[in-house]
Amino acid sequence: MATLAVEVVYRGIFQRTLARNIVRQIVFAARKDNKIGTAFGRYSDSPERNGIPAKQFAIVCDTAIELEESLAVYEATNVDVTINLDDAMCKGIESWAWYGLQPINKLTRAGGTLIVTSRQDADALLEDIHQKESAYHLAIIPSTVSFSGLWVYKDDHTDMRVLGTLCKVCPDLVSLKAMKESVDEQTGSDAKVSSVQMAFDRTATRPVEPGEGNHETPFSFDLPGWKNMEEGLVIRAIPEGGGFRGGDEGYQPARNEVFKKWSTRSMRPVINFETCIKCTLCWLQCPDTCFDVTPDGLYDANMESCCGCGVCEAVCPVPDCVTMVSESQFNDNNSQWEAWTADKDSYNKWSTVLVEQQKSETRTHGFHHVGGYDEEIKAEEA
Amino acid sequence: MATAQTALYQEPKEELISGSEAIGIACALADVDVITAYPIRPYDTVMQYVSRLKADGAFDFDYIIAESEHSQFEIVKHASAVGARTFTGSSGVGWFYAFEAITVTAGLRMPVVAMVGNRALDDPGAFGVEHNDAMAVRDLGWHLYWVATAQEALDMALIAWKVAEDPRVLLPFALSCDGSFLTHSQAIVEVPSQGQVKEFLPDYKRGTLQLHPDNPITVAPQVNEDWLMEIRKQTDEAMRRTSAVIIEAYDEFKEVFGRGDPSPFIEEYMCEDAEIILVGMGTLAMPTRVAVRRMREAGQKVGFLRIKFFRPFATEEIQNALKGAKGVAVIDRDYSYGSPAYGGVLFHELRSAMYPMDERPVMLNFIAGLGGREVMVHDINEMVETTQKAVDTGRIDQETTWVAVREQ
Amino acid sequence: MATVQDLPQIKGVKNIPLEEYYTSGHRTCQGCESALVMRLMIKAAGQRTIVLGSTGCMYVANTTYYSTPWVVPWMHTQLGSAGSAATGTAAGLASMMRKGKMQDEPINVIAFCGDGGGVDMGLSALSAALQHEEYNLLIICYDNESYANTDIQASGSTPWGANTTFSPPGKVIRNMNTRWKKNMAPMMAVGHPNMNYVATACASYGLDFNNKVRRALTAGGPTFIHCIDPCPKGWDYDPKYSHELGMLAIETGLWIQYEIIENELILNGPSRAIAKGIRKRKPVEDYLMRQGRFAHFTKEDIQMFQGKIDDQWEKWWIPGLVPITPTQDNDSNSTSDDAE
Repeated sequence: MATLAVEVVYRGIFQRTLARNIVRQIVFAARKDNKIGTAFGRYSDSPERNGIPAKQFAIVCDTAIELEESLAVYEATNVDVTINLDDAMCKGIESWAWYGLQPINKLTRAGGTLIVTSRQDADALLEDIHQKESAYHLAIIPSTVSFSGLWVYKDDHTDMRVLGTLCKVCPDLVSLKAMKESVDEQTGSDAKVSSVQMAFDRTATRPVEPGEGNHETPFSFDLPGWKNMEEGLVIRAIPEGGGFRGGDEGYQPARNEVFKKWSTRSMRPVINFETCIKCTLCWLQCPDTCFDVTPDGLYDANMESCCGCGVCEAVCPVPDCVTMVSESQFNDNNSQWEAWTADKDSYNKWSTVLVEQQKSETRTHGFHHVGGYDEEIKAEEA
Repeated sequence: MATAQTALYQEPKEELISGSEAIGIACALADVDVITAYPIRPYDTVMQYVSRLKADGAFDFDYIIAESEHSQFEIVKHASAVGARTFTGSSGVGWFYAFEAITVTAGLRMPVVAMVGNRALDDPGAFGVEHNDAMAVRDLGWHLYWVATAQEALDMALIAWKVAEDPRVLLPFALSCDGSFLTHSQAIVEVPSQGQVKEFLPDYKRGTLQLHPDNPITVAPQVNEDWLMEIRKQTDEAMRRTSAVIIEAYDEFKEVFGRGDPSPFIEEYMCEDAEIILVGMGTLAMPTRVAVRRMREAGQKVGFLRIKFFRPFATEEIQNALKGAKGVAVIDRDYSYGSPAYGGVLFHELRSAMYPMDERPVMLNFIAGLGGREVMVHDINEMVETTQKAVDTGRIDQETTWVAVREQ
Repeated sequence: MATVQDLPQIKGVKNIPLEEYYTSGHRTCQGCESALVMRLMIKAAGQRTIVLGSTGCMYVANTTYYSTPWVVPWMHTQLGSAGSAATGTAAGLASMMRKGKMQDEPINVIAFCGDGGGVDMGLSALSAALQHEEYNLLIICYDNESYANTDIQASGSTPWGANTTFSPPGKVIRNMNTRWKKNMAPMMAVGHPNMNYVATACASYGLDFNNKVRRALTAGGPTFIHCIDPCPKGWDYDPKYSHELGMLAIETGLWIQYEIIENELILNGPSRAIAKGIRKRKPVEDYLMRQGRFAHFTKEDIQMFQGKIDDQWEKWWIPGLVPITPTQDNDSNSTSDDAE
């Protein structure tokens, strides 16, 4: 008699269909094992927004009564497997259903498994993943992140690879045999069944020790009670901003202290301060008011706020002046302008390397044109 | 119709006016800042009167004819947010058209004062009095008061602004005025002087809740399940605080204006030793009092309890007023289909209030006067008779009686 | 008596004020152009402003769990209440200032609504607000072409055939939404001839947008701006293209940039160049095929769409009133730039 729970942590909208496919397929497969289950998203995550982390769950039980008992606690406090569909979220997530920064492995139980789709290795990921008091396992599916959108789905078998890996790391949840049978029944695709099998075969897990990982304390805050809340549904506005870093020149806005949004991004803009022509477009067109204006009239993207949309890169008229670079290249949210000002040579070298590296990566961040996903899948297979 | 120059009200003066006009005069005396109008019978007589006040320059205010009741109520809600004293009103389905605005006004703690010219709900269209329109907001945080006379309409309007705008309260106030009886017939009303009103009614100040660039706030940010209970609790606490504020304001009113009942919440008429007590709200008080007097003259120990404040419900006072009676006949000028006794709202609330008492009177419900049908003295006599019979036999044949309804 | 603030036209992007009154920390999608509208709108208006925000993305995504990105006073209002909220706020301020209950100074009143709240539900309140010449107020309708906050449903402003959760392309019916988008700005202009300012806008043209907000706030009386906001979630595209798609909407002639100032029509930017014949409209297919919400379109659908846009330019534009053709002289002294 057992209840097993899986959470899928994903990028809102971009991976909504992918996450849904995964949790539903788990429940279908569980039926083949004569188990019963349910799949659901979190109401407080909705409406989903592009990039904002969200979660869906699958619960599998041996009996209906067990299922009922597990659902009485609407949101699981403990899962057997956490599936992370974008390795940038290993740095922690802010969503609408959680206050402050939630570590990616917060709900993963002792001895459970964190599955991550990533091109990074375990050591690199563990620089980001917050430490836990208990031991657990880490399994990596070597893959770039898979993004679609609301209407058109990129059917690149990421779901199948995740399901195959899941069967390997948690056979008690669902057997490989049941999964393959069910995938065949649901999709009729031999290729998909193969993807499940291949992922199963390739899965390697690595144990993670207690205390191993990122030692930073994740940002948190307490909720006030009704006696301390102002009356009349009133909260104070954000204070006015002022000069850059509190000085007299430039401009730096004050920002929302309780919702930062940086965990939304999977890429961040790297600025070349040498070639910037101060056209103002990145600063002007940023929907998230990310750019601080420096005393020398340059624009420094605040990394606590930047959600990685890429509009700045798109509007910048100078080639390679603003380049969206994968989050995996960074371990902090420090100011680039400050780094450049402190040591221009060093910054310029470092940023040039990043920009060059990024050119060989395909940026997949949603729909570009009709037929685009099929082209991407072909290119990835090649 | 009285002319609307409050400059004349340097001294108190007697006028022959309807309840609507009385409230209109109250708006002038209270120096209301923003009034919104939309036509629906029968409340809109107040707005026709108000428009004359505007045209004749009786006092300075912004008068807006809205394009729907929803907008009508939204406009005053927002004017109230920036600190303006407001007045609006509606009737029947018009009030319902504004329901969304009505709901949020209480949640936002905006002290809007509204007149509800109680009117039957469509369908079918009917203009006569029923209480269901105002009743429908009883859960939402509005003060609900049922007026019986034009004098009371004027007096309670002034008290409404004082109580609603009190910083300890900040909850809107609905003055229910039976359509036709209060809106279209005229009575002698003593209009107070401007000086008296100025003494009684302070300015409306929102303080740190004021929406203004000098006080940058965000009002009503989005919340999820982690916040809503706390927010609702705050409104609950405000409603709990208002009873004390009402008593304070009422006592002060009596001092300044020299009139008023012993209690702001209820009016007891010949209840002291009554064995059967009739309970009701609004203008049916008049035929009921007449009936009670006649029955008393005939030796029957009958009394009448008029509920004035429906929200907040003065549970303790009402329990005390009714506990000595053997039988209670509740007259509902409203209905609640499918309710526990298939009766009216007032009956169910009263019965619920009496439940904790060690000794409970027999309670019966009489649905009467819907759609403006007159409640006659002989109807009241029959109600008392039926109730007395239940008391004497110890048996209730029928909990709810629909009074004077044609069957064939 | 309070009049309007001194909000001069901004000459060039370098002179756009640095102060931010809508800052970071809101739960909008990556690349949300509606958020950019909020930011630029209040940047142009400044601190002496009260903003009323009707229910929608710019409410729910912005005031995330009891917090806020707003630096100026901001209040929620109901979905259909942008018009009534603006009227009530302006009336309250006007009355109290006139009666000496509040310091007399010009305070901007801006109410915003999405297309759902403006084109559909709030149309009556909006129209009534625009009749009140005695109040200075601006209503901005940010149009992301759907009820976006409730997870994308068709509104009266959703383009023909677009995929939404209420108009999914299915096996039997491919194009469920057969309503053609309402012509909001012309409708408001024609219906309320005493308005001093009506404009269409797009935040992709940031300087132009800032200046339009300022013109509206200094024109006196009720004013209206309708802006097109590419929506990465509902339209389904990589968020980095938000800026580009806004421009493409205008370059294809799908969206027309103009102002109506005291009943004179002034075209802006690429729209002016197109009307003058200096520039050809790009084919609307370029725009449609960049968005997942039109991915189910056939060649016939695209042709039909193109035909409607052609009509819009060649036959009638403000219905029954003003045709715009390459020969019409639309000279103006508008300072909005073509450069972006």
